Amino acid sequence: MPRTEIATSKWPTLRRSPPLGVCGLLLTLMVAGVWAAETVTVTTLTRDGQVLVSLDVAGAYTQDVRSSVQSGLETTFRYDVRLSREAAYWPDSTVGSATLAATVRYDSLIEQYNVARMVDGHVEETTVAEDEDEVRDLLTRFERVPLFSTERLEPNSEYQVRVRVERRPRAAWFVWPFARAWASGVVRFTFVP
Amino acid sequence: MNVPRYGPREADRETVPRATVRVGGSRPLRDSPLLILLGIVLFLGALFGLLRVADRSTQLAPDYLSEVVLYALSAACITMLVVLGFILARNIIKLWVERQRALPFARFRAKLVAALLGMTLIPALLVLFVGSELIRSSAERWFSAPVDDVLTSANEIARDYYRSRERVVSDHAQRIAAALSGLSLDASDVVRVRELVTSDVAAGLLGSVDVYRVLLTEGQIGRVAIEPLVEVAMPTGPLGYSRAGSERLAERVAAGGQEDRQVEPLPGGADVVRSAAVIEREPGGEILGVVVASDALTGSAAFHSRRISGAYESYSQLRVLQRPLAGVYLSFFVMLTLMILISATWMGIYVAKRITRPVQLLAAGAREIGAGHLDYRIEPQSRDEFGSLVDAFNTMAGELSTSRRRLERSRRDLERKNQEGEQRRQYIETILERIATGVVSMDAEGRVSTINRAAGRLLGLDRGAVGQPASAVFARADLEPLSDVLTQAHIKTGSRSAQEVALGKDGHEVHLAVVATTLATDIGDVDGTVMVFDDVTPLIRAQRVATWRDVARRLAHEIKNPLTPIQLCAERMRRHFTTAPPPTRALVDECTSTIVGEVESLKSLVDEFSQFARMPSPRLAHADLNALLDATLGLYDGLFGNIVVERSLCPTLPQMRFDPEQVRRVVVNLVDNAVDALEQYLRTSSNGYKGVIVVQTEHDEAASVVRLIVRDNGPGIPDVDREKLFMPYFSTKRRGSGLGLAIVRRIVVEHGGNIEVADNVPSGTTFIVELPC
Repeated sequence: MPRTEIATSKWPTLRRSPPLGVCGLLLTLMVAGVWAAETVTVTTLTRDGQVLVSLDVAGAYTQDVRSSVQSGLETTFRYDVRLSREAAYWPDSTVGSATLAATVRYDSLIEQYNVARMVDGHVEETTVAEDEDEVRDLLTRFERVPLFSTERLEPNSEYQVRVRVERRPRAAWFVWPFARAWASGVVRFTFVP
Repeated sequence: MNVPRYGPREADRETVPRATVRVGGSRPLRDSPLLILLGIVLFLGALFGLLRVADRSTQLAPDYLSEVVLYALSAACITMLVVLGFILARNIIKLWVERQRALPFARFRAKLVAALLGMTLIPALLVLFVGSELIRSSAERWFSAPVDDVLTSANEIARDYYRSRERVVSDHAQRIAAALSGLSLDASDVVRVRELVTSDVAAGLLGSVDVYRVLLTEGQIGRVAIEPLVEVAMPTGPLGYSRAGSERLAERVAAGGQEDRQVEPLPGGADVVRSAAVIEREPGGEILGVVVASDALTGSAAFHSRRISGAYESYSQLRVLQRPLAGVYLSFFVMLTLMILISATWMGIYVAKRITRPVQLLAAGAREIGAGHLDYRIEPQSRDEFGSLVDAFNTMAGELSTSRRRLERSRRDLERKNQEGEQRRQYIETILERIATGVVSMDAEGRVSTINRAAGRLLGLDRGAVGQPASAVFARADLEPLSDVLTQAHIKTGSRSAQEVALGKDGHEVHLAVVATTLATDIGDVDGTVMVFDDVTPLIRAQRVATWRDVARRLAHEIKNPLTPIQLCAERMRRHFTTAPPPTRALVDECTSTIVGEVESLKSLVDEFSQFARMPSPRLAHADLNALLDATLGLYDGLFGNIVVERSLCPTLPQMRFDPEQVRRVVVNLVDNAVDALEQYLRTSSNGYKGVIVVQTEHDEAASVVRLIVRDNGPGIPDVDREKLFMPYFSTKRRGSGLGLAIVRRIVVEHGGNIEVADNVPSGTTFIVELPC
C-alpha cells in the first residue's frame, strides 16, 4: 500500500538551504512582490504511480478576464506545469512538464459558456454552462490531474512543481517577448513511495 | 588592395628599386552603390509591407492582432531599438575615441554627426511623441456612449427574442409531457404518443418532438439509460440538424440535471432551440420518459438577432482589446518611426563619413608623405570634387616620388663620383708620397696646401707648414732660392719657372731642379701654384765623377807616355856619369834617383787614375750584408791596441742584391779611413783615450733602404772639407791618393744608393751608406 503525501504550496516559503538559497528566496520575494499579480495554489498528491496536481488560481478571474469572457473573446488560461528535482547549488533538473489549458467562449445571445479543458493539447472535457461561477471554477481550478508518472522519481528526494499561468488574450499595450508569467506558483514535496 | 594608379616612370623603374606602394582608404563594402540601392529598396519594401499590414489590420481578428501582430511588432520594435542603440552607441564611442586620440577632423566629424543626428532625432522623437498621443486618444474615442447604448439595447432585444422562443418551446415540451404522463410509454403506446406529438409538429409550432423512454432509473445521476420512443420532425428540417443534441439533453434531464434547455448552433448558421421535460407517472412520481421539443430559429428575426449579437460581441471585444489594439497601431507607428530614424541616423552618419573620410584620407596621406613614404597613394572613392582632390594628391605624391628618385639617383651618382675623385686623390697622394720628386702646392692665397714626403725630406719641412703662407715657409735662409723661383712664376699667370737651385742641407749642398707653375682658373685668375723639384745632386755628382774619370783617363794617357822616356833618360844620365867625379856622380845619382823615384810615384798615381777610370760596373747578386760585414770586420779583430771595432748589426735585414767585392771595398775603405783618423788623433790626444769604431746596420722599411753606418769617435771632419770629401784627389792624409772616398761614393751610387757624412756625437764622424733593398 503506497504511502501518500499531500504537499501544499507554501509560497512564499523559506528553503532549507544555505545562504545562497536565502538570497535566492529574497530575490524571489522581491521579484514576486513587484511582478507577481496572482498566486497559484498548487497541491500535489502521489497515488497509484501518478503525481496528481491540483491548481487553484481563483483570484485570476479578474474583472478584466470577466470582460474578456463576456465580450465573446475566446479566453484561455494556460498552465505550464514543470516537475523538477531540487538541487542546492545547481539549477533544478526537470523531471517532466505538462500543459493544462482551459478555454471559454461565451455566446452573449443565448448566454451560454462553452468551456473546454485540455491536457497537453488533448481535450479532456467540454462543458456548456450558464453559470459564471461554474465557468470561473472551470477556468481557474484543476483537481487532481494525473500529470507525471512516479517511475522517474527517486524515493525520499525533494521535488517541486512549478506552475506558470498565461492568459490570452493579453490586454497590454506592448508585448514583451520575454514576458514573465501572469501568475505563478510552486509547491515542494518529498517523494515517499 | 588595388594596383596604384600612379607609380614611377618607366625610365625610373629600371634604376629605382621596387618600392612598396601602399594605398590608403580602400573602399568599404558599405560604400558599394549596389548595396546602398539594395538597402533603399529593402527599406521601401519594408515600409510598403508595413503600410499594407496596417491597412489590412481591420480585416484581422482583434485577438489575432493583439497576440500575433502585436507580438511581432513588439519584437521588431525592440530589435530596431537595439539596432538604433547599437548604431548610436558605436558611433558615439568611435567619435569619442577619435576625439581622445586627437585624430584629424575628429572634432569636425563629431559636430557634423551631432548636427545630422539632431536634425534627425529631434523631429522624429517629436513626431513619435505627438503621434503616440494621437493614437492613444483616438483609441479612447473609439467607444462612445450612444453606440454603447444602442448595441447593448439591440443585444438585449436579440436575447429577448431567443428567450421568448425558448419559452415557447419549453411550454410545448411541458404540455406534451403532461399529456403523456398517463401513458406507460411501452411499445403499445407508440401510436398513441405519436398521435399526441405529431399535431404540434404538423401545425408548425415545433420543428421536431422526440420522446425518450427511461429504461432504468435508480435515482442516481449518471446511471440512467434512455431509448428513443417516438421521433417526429418536419420533413424540411434545417441544414445540419441532428438528434444527437436532443438525446444528450434528454439524458441530462432524465438524470436529474437542472439545465432543461439548450441552444445548438447549426453549420448552416441557424440555431436550434431545444427544451426537455420529464414524463412522470404522477406529479413528483416515477420518471417514465423525456420529451425534447426543438425548433430551428431560421427566420429573419433569428438572423438579425445573430448579427446584432455578433456586432455587440465585436464591439465588446474591441473594448476589451482596446489597449492591445492601440498598442498595435502604436507599434506600427513606432516601427515606422524607428525605421525612418535608423535610416536617417545611418544616413546622417554615412553622409558625415562620406564628407570627412576623403579629408581624413588626405590628411593621413599628407602625414605619410611628410614621413617620407612617397609611394603612399589614396584610392579614389568617388568621381566628385573629392575624387578630383584625391587624384591631385596622388599626382602630387607621384611627382614627389619621381623627383625623390631622381634626386636619389643624382645623389648616388655624386657619391660615386666623389668616391672616384677621392680614390683618384688618394692614388695621386700615394704617388706623390712615393715618388722621389718633391711637390709643394699653394692655394690662390699663397698658402701651402700640400707637401709630399719627398718635398719634406728634401726641404726639411714637416706637415706643420701646411696652411702657412708660402712666403713665410720659404723665407728660411736655406730655402730662399725657392722663394725666388716662386716669385718669378707669379710674374705671369699660367707661366712656369724652371731653375736649378742649390740648397745647403746639413752642411752639404743639395741640387734641385725646380719647376714652379701657377694654376689659372677659366677666367684667368690665379688658382694656386705647384712647385715640383727633383733632387739632381746624385746626377750632378755622377756628372762630376764622369768628368773626373775622363780627366783621369786623359791625364793617365798624357802623363804616362812621357814618364818612361824621362825614366830612361834619367837612368841613361846616371850611367853616363858613372865615370864622372864623385861629387858630380853623387849629384847625378841623387838627381836621377829623385827623377826615377818621382817617375815611379807618378806611374803609381797614373795607375790609380787608370784604375779609377776603368772601375767595372757592379755585378749584383743576392748576398747577406751582415755576413759580409762579419767576415770583413773579422780582419780587424786584435789588429790595433787602442782601437776597437764594434758591430751593431740588425738581425732582420732583408735580402739584398749588391756586389760583395765592391761593398767589401766600401767597408774596408771607410774603416781604414776611421782607423787612420783615430791613429792620428790618438797620437796627439791624451793617454787613455780609446778609439771606437762602430759598424752598424739598420733597415728602414718605409724608405726601403738598408743603412750601413760607420761611426768613429775621432776628431771629425771640418765643415769646409765635407763638400770636397768625395771628390777625387782630395785627401786630408799626407800619403793618400784622394781617390778612396771617391771610389766609395761611385760604388754606392752605382748600387743605386747614397752616402752621407755627418758628425758623430760627441765627437767623430759618421758615414751613412744607404743601399736599396
